[in-house]
Amino acid sequence: MLTLNLNTLPSSSFKIVPFHANYPLYTQTQLLIPTNLNYPFTNTATRKFRTFQLKAGFWESIKSGMRKNNTTQVIDPESTDEEDEEPLPQEFVLVENTEPDGTIEQIIFSSGGDIDVYDLQALCDKVGWPRRPLAKLAAALKNSYMVACLYSVRKSPGSEGNEQKLLIGMARATSDHAFNATIWDVLVDPGYQGQGLGKTLVEKLIRALLQRDIGNITLFADSKVVEFYRNLGFEADPEGIKGMFWYPNQ
Amino acid sequence: MVATVVAAAASSAYTNIHLTEISASKSMELRWVRTRITKTSQQLNNNKQKLLSTPLLPVYISTNPRHVDPQNIRDLCSTCNHSFNRFPNLKNSETSEPVDINKLRIALSHSDVLVSVFCKPHHVDGLAESSSSSIVDFFTPVSPSRDLLVGFGRAVSDCGLTASIYDVMVIPSLRRMGIGKIIVKKIVRMLTTRDIYDIAALCSEDERLFFKACGFGGDILDATTMMYTRTASPTIQEGEQTVICAGRKLLLVPPLIERSYKSSRTII
Repeated sequence: MLTLNLNTLPSSSFKIVPFHANYPLYTQTQLLIPTNLNYPFTNTATRKFRTFQLKAGFWESIKSGMRKNNTTQVIDPESTDEEDEEPLPQEFVLVENTEPDGTIEQIIFSSGGDIDVYDLQALCDKVGWPRRPLAKLAAALKNSYMVACLYSVRKSPGSEGNEQKLLIGMARATSDHAFNATIWDVLVDPGYQGQGLGKTLVEKLIRALLQRDIGNITLFADSKVVEFYRNLGFEADPEGIKGMFWYPNQ
Repeated sequence: MVATVVAAAASSAYTNIHLTEISASKSMELRWVRTRITKTSQQLNNNKQKLLSTPLLPVYISTNPRHVDPQNIRDLCSTCNHSFNRFPNLKNSETSEPVDINKLRIALSHSDVLVSVFCKPHHVDGLAESSSSSIVDFFTPVSPSRDLLVGFGRAVSDCGLTASIYDVMVIPSLRRMGIGKIIVKKIVRMLTTRDIYDIAALCSEDERLFFKACGFGGDILDATTMMYTRTASPTIQEGEQTVICAGRKLLLVPPLIERSYKSSRTII
């Protein structure tokens, strides 16, 4: 579909070129789909288009011609700041315990990294959540604004290596990067609950969101955990604001 | 001839005509919405006659993100008195401050679904003129750059499991005609075709009935909606408290987690 678009009539693409006329070359070639929109296929599109940079001669000629006629810019992708928009990946050790037999167990906080969907599925089973399709889970993780997780790493004292890494907690937030964010899916392995790990996860998310000036942070809590979130600074139904969900059978 | 066309249009509640642009992958739809019943038509006795006499208004629904101009959205926002912050700074005149255009651009570029509704400028007062002008409008090509933006709605999703609808607004003079409902239904339709069924909408007290009419339910699986509202605490004196301004509230930023090494059984 993307290569087809490249060969369409120039008259139809002229409408699109001025849209990008002010941007650096590598975004010039990503003409036909605004790269910053979160459509599922744009991620692959940008990779494909980057290889087309050398063939940009044709587009450059249009660009130079169009530059004089540049009119309104509709949506302004912040191409230079794209790296700064996403929260930077971090990983650090939260706690380190030494067990009687010498095994060192570290609980590591990680954000921005990749999560194995199967590990996440196993964790959801442990907590007792219903199973969700893996492909959807993977897509959701990829397109969330921030995903924070906790790993438990066990090192046995004797042999070198042989680390056991286990996913024990996860929390994710979706956002429009400017005003609103919603925290979904906060879970901690039952064996590690009660230690403040969940609190750490959520606070880290809130901190990252607030530092980006995202002021509306929402979540939908089960009745059992309302108190947990209240202690973290969340208020239920503030000023009458409620969340409603779509019912397909109405 | 004019009368028969109008009658044909009025006989069905809505007629959908798709105008597909050549290069756009999304379609623009022409919809007819029934305007409010004016006082004069209420005096008519015959019901059928009343139905025919309320004029139909053409509006153009677009899901194409290229039709969205942040400046137009900002103006629409001011007209509707809608704030992007959940806790807006309301001054004495009850109007919230205009939204920051850069933040708006970022938000629009990261919204997965954008629905905008356009209308011919002379229809904005809510009443269509004589039926002959509607025929002329029917054949006039629609141009989002020329026509007035009168309604908007957007949704943010994670492209897999969940989505949230934000900022649905219609200008005051064209309310109560079903435009808002069309916007929400369009957003929902776009999300369900992508297999996303977990759609949430945050709404204030006034908007609750509107969303209910669009097919949204209040109680779902016992979930409570919560928002972060912790403001700076006057009792904490150690260290500095970082706050960020979110409309009227100054939200407290949780402190940075200090890393702990080799300390057994301590959690920060």
